[in-house]
Amino acid sequence: MTTHESESTSFLYPFIESEETDAKSLLDDLAASARGKAAESARLQRSSLDEYNDGLTAAGTEMADRFRRGGRLYTFGNGGSSTDAATLASLFSRPARGRPVAAWSLAADEAVVTALGNDVGFELIFKRQIIAHARDRDVAIALSTSGNSADLLTAITEAKQRGLLTIGFAGHDGGQMAVAEDLDFCFTVHSQSIHRIQESHAMLGYRLWSVAQEHMARPRNGARTA
Amino acid sequence: MTITVQPGGSFVGADLSADLAAAALDLARKFHDGATLWVISPQWEPHAHHVAVEFVHPVIMGKRALPSVALVEPDPVAQARVASQPGDLLLAVASADEPAVIDAMRRAQAWGVLTLWIGSGPRPPAGAANHILWIDSDDPMVPATGTFVLLYHLLWELTHVCFEHPGLLKAPADECTEEVCVTCSDEGRLAEVVLEPADATGQALVRTAKGEEWVDVTMLGDVKPNDLVLIHAGAAITRLTSQLEVTS
Repeated sequence: MTTHESESTSFLYPFIESEETDAKSLLDDLAASARGKAAESARLQRSSLDEYNDGLTAAGTEMADRFRRGGRLYTFGNGGSSTDAATLASLFSRPARGRPVAAWSLAADEAVVTALGNDVGFELIFKRQIIAHARDRDVAIALSTSGNSADLLTAITEAKQRGLLTIGFAGHDGGQMAVAEDLDFCFTVHSQSIHRIQESHAMLGYRLWSVAQEHMARPRNGARTA
Repeated sequence: MTITVQPGGSFVGADLSADLAAAALDLARKFHDGATLWVISPQWEPHAHHVAVEFVHPVIMGKRALPSVALVEPDPVAQARVASQPGDLLLAVASADEPAVIDAMRRAQAWGVLTLWIGSGPRPPAGAANHILWIDSDDPMVPATGTFVLLYHLLWELTHVCFEHPGLLKAPADECTEEVCVTCSDEGRLAEVVLEPADATGQALVRTAKGEEWVDVTMLGDVKPNDLVLIHAGAAITRLTSQLEVTS
């Protein structure tokens, strides 16, 4: 079918080289596309870090205070964002350098997730875990490229009620997360691309981690700057 | 003062973008022929899961779902061995010194599996995988800054662009001629032992890129399942050590 088409095409246009040449031009296009998308990814990461510099510093500092009091970090998201949540939790719990703190992804345990999804509904897969695990000194970070995931929003509300520090990573226009009163901090990455948003979420999470690390390394009773 | 890291996008220059393009075309061709993409990341399992969900459930509506599975059991080599079939794909997100990935990438030749390796830091030796997509940075925090995420996002995006060029999805002609050469030449082929000889005839079942076959292993003495051997003209002629250290 397609093979036939391309064969008959090359027969009709003998001066167009074989498919090798066509692949070459496709490969050039692909490489140029990769560079363009990568440049946009880098631009978005930089502008997101700039936009939220103050908020990330404040949130990271508050996280450090909670870790010092024995607080734990729960991260959660759906799909690709659940894997990014897991990467973020690993960054806190087993960093390549610095001090590890207790952190885990609430999507990590398939027994818990499927039990809750099956018995009480998908919308409650994270909220019910917050109810089970959370203490008032803990931290919850929700990642959603739309900012509208119901399972995240209900968990955030529960976390806020229990005294947790609540942080949201959103995308597009921030959706419901951008206006959620239960979020102490909401970092919305302004892009229409889910891929580019996720790449910036990782960078923002990394900044949170570095701020928290820096503050945990300071003497406990020493002077603190905001 | 806050530590800043280099955005992943700044690493994608002429070389890496060309590597990504070539890898994407190979991925698309293999998927077109029915491949499954197996993904391992022993140090950072979430990356393996992210790649799998990316291909299985595309974020852009209308893009086709493609078979991809994260292999995250404690022994990813054993898991990849039993999962993979000739024509499949194996993608690792790992540093160059990750022993299980070094082992899996080498054995993939005997499994008939095309390999891709994403990582940062010291590079794997040339030829360690069919496609090496590498971030040349010694920063140990690279895996947590979205840089690998960017690389596999790009790989996914470019792969789907290739599907818009169906005429280029069939294997290039030189692959066919290569196969003819292997058959008639003196070349040794990598094989992995499946069954050791059951009797004195010295015939062991091995798997190669072309599938399973019985070969004479009397020249090597004892062989065990999972041994890597070179075969030539129906006989195993050399055993390869399973230990492989990264030299960089």
